[in-house]
Amino acid sequence: MAAIPSDTSQKPRISYHEFYTDGFTPREHYRPLWEHIQSVGQNAFEAKVHESQLALHAEGVTFTVYGDSDEGIERIWPFDLIPRIIPAGEWSVIESGLKQRVRALNLFLKDIYHDQRILKDGVVPAELIYQGKDFRREIMGIDPPHDIYTHISGIDIIRDEDGKYLVLEDNLRTPSGVSYMIENRVIERRILPEFFAKYRVRRVEHYPALLLEALRAVSPRGTGQAEIVVLTPGIYNSAYFEHTFLAKEMGVELAEGRDLVAKDDVVYLKTTTGLQRVDVIYRRVDDDFLDPLVFRSDSALGVAGIINAWRAGNIAIVNAPGNGIADDKAVYPYVPDIIRYYLAEAPILHNVPTYQMTNPEERAYVLDNLERMVVKAVSESGGYGMLMGPASTPALRKEFAAKVQEDPRNYIAQPVVQLSRHICYMDGELEARHLDLRPFIIYGDDINVVPGGLTRVALTKGSLVVNSSQGGGSKDTWVLAE
Amino acid sequence: MLSRIADSIYWMSRYLERAGDTARLMEINLLYLLEAEEDMSEGDKWRPLLSITSAEAAFSGLYGEGQLTQGRVLQFMTAEKSNGNSIRTCLRLARENARIARDRISREMWEAINELWLNVDQQLKTPLHPLRASQFFSFVRGEVARFHGLTTTTMMRGEAFGFYRLGTFLEQADMTARILDVKYHLLLPDLSLVGSALDYYQWAALLKSLSGYEAFRRKYHAGFRPMDVVEFTIFEQEFPRSLAYTVKRMRRALADTGITGQQRSPAAMERLEGMLAGNSAERIFSTGLHEFLEEFLAAIAALNQAAQADFLDTHREEP
Repeated sequence: MAAIPSDTSQKPRISYHEFYTDGFTPREHYRPLWEHIQSVGQNAFEAKVHESQLALHAEGVTFTVYGDSDEGIERIWPFDLIPRIIPAGEWSVIESGLKQRVRALNLFLKDIYHDQRILKDGVVPAELIYQGKDFRREIMGIDPPHDIYTHISGIDIIRDEDGKYLVLEDNLRTPSGVSYMIENRVIERRILPEFFAKYRVRRVEHYPALLLEALRAVSPRGTGQAEIVVLTPGIYNSAYFEHTFLAKEMGVELAEGRDLVAKDDVVYLKTTTGLQRVDVIYRRVDDDFLDPLVFRSDSALGVAGIINAWRAGNIAIVNAPGNGIADDKAVYPYVPDIIRYYLAEAPILHNVPTYQMTNPEERAYVLDNLERMVVKAVSESGGYGMLMGPASTPALRKEFAAKVQEDPRNYIAQPVVQLSRHICYMDGELEARHLDLRPFIIYGDDINVVPGGLTRVALTKGSLVVNSSQGGGSKDTWVLAE
Repeated sequence: MLSRIADSIYWMSRYLERAGDTARLMEINLLYLLEAEEDMSEGDKWRPLLSITSAEAAFSGLYGEGQLTQGRVLQFMTAEKSNGNSIRTCLRLARENARIARDRISREMWEAINELWLNVDQQLKTPLHPLRASQFFSFVRGEVARFHGLTTTTMMRGEAFGFYRLGTFLEQADMTARILDVKYHLLLPDLSLVGSALDYYQWAALLKSLSGYEAFRRKYHAGFRPMDVVEFTIFEQEFPRSLAYTVKRMRRALADTGITGQQRSPAAMERLEGMLAGNSAERIFSTGLHEFLEEFLAAIAALNQAAQADFLDTHREEP
């Protein structure tokens, strides 16, 4: 939890620059890249930008933005050619911090849906869990295969003004972006192979192989009999490209809910030659829509009876239903305590200081300083339900203040962190833009983090909002070998 | 049809297919080496490619021993005029053969192969820059595939089509056996790497060189077990570049060409089929994969000779 600063008149601090030390001098690990960019020349670079766009078009690398129309708008994935580089030493800290965090959150989920020791010991307030919209009473006591809930996590990391890596949020439900991480690499390598000649970049394209391995590892019938499907809501989902990408890469079926049927607690795929048993479902459908018999009865996206099949131990659902309680933004401030509680270790990666609106003192402070705060609705994602203080209007602040007072449990606030900046190629100029990083963590027999992640960029000058649904872009992310 | 024309169509498709296969092989090798974490010398990275295309001797004859660099291999495999298997040479010969058979192939086929040659000849007038090479290979691969598509949709079925298919599938079988022999030989000994990221990339590269990566992943979910790879690349009936599939298509193509039992190639065809029928991955492992592939390549060479004798030598004997 955040300490309330005694001096509320302090000036906003300057963001950390990933690329330059002082505005002119590139950091050591960027020097070879910088020299190369200087030598390329603008015309050649312009041609490469064009080429990368053609490649993305030809390959159909897209995402969908939900709009007024039912179908959404399909957009080409926005991609900036200048890679972000993370030295090996920095990465090893991130990696061990992520593994630690996921291990603790997984134990937390198991505890919450079984004995609830952490609530009894008063480390996390019980009412916080019970009031959480994503806490699923229906799944209490279910034992998922191998006690794994968080098979795939995407944990958003930012750097503060001092360059320190901080966790911004945990995504433990159906985090997306991994296909774009891989496509970014494919495009970068195709368009600018000369960049790679200067570095030893660690590979990321084996992610689907690791994912497949993890999915097989949780098959209730053992890895020898692991019929796996990717369950998608369908072509209008924003991440549909990713669903097809992963299914194709893993060589498994991409199914919609209507392609599956549950009978006597066993789930089957409807094939031309009859019903075929399914063991593992990598679902990209939210809890709410997963099983109309258990959750939302009006859902046509899920499979009736799938939860009972899961309860009976006949199927693995990845990620486990009910995970949302662990990445609820109201639980986020407790994650360092959760790590200490289950692992008896000090957290390796820290949180962004966070004010809890249920605490009257913190709430009062936040409401007095809204223009310097980010206020987030706890169960929203993708940049929705958010107030960016510095960019807000008095009317909007008033609206949020009212919302917060009405339902404090549903909001948290954080001081505005000036996300670190990186140069981007914008209309012929190199300009600084804010960015974050979403690495992906796979929990199967072991916990694996592919060296890299999705670097998201706020394409609008000065903006701190990086979500692609809000017009963000992306960069290839390089983790260097030792 | 005239034996000469049959021969031209046969070689047109073989050379064209060889150019496409070589381009795919080079492209995969190039892309996988870009971010190589493992420490391999340039020679180690590129020698297998020369060995797959049996070009080692010609290469060292041209550059001398110990001169194996990426730049030289690229030049040698793409543009070198003295290399009978360089992409440029293959496309030139494919186009020449197409010109000979111009009245027996469709206009679309001719235009496609003619344009491809003109374009590649132009591009290779200056040395291919290593950083632009993968785009060049992808272009060649794509154009070869386009040619096959145009042929399938525009060429009359019958004898000529049989020769076109015989050449294509024979070339494919040959290339699959060669890639498997060389790559497998390199991959297998290092058991310590099984299951590692390196192992993953090496096997993926082998399968991608055969455009079989996705199909393999779909069929086998236990990672890259050597037995599965052999089973898939040799016996998988549904994988278009497996030996079993290509041999089966060669049999059909041979029937379409009108060659009869009186001639030499049906016997050669039977020998090839006999190597697969009743055989299994396990049995091949126990007697030696390399030995099997060597014998298979010899049987392909024998079929090639027999077929040519059947449709060409007859022609030579004519007054």
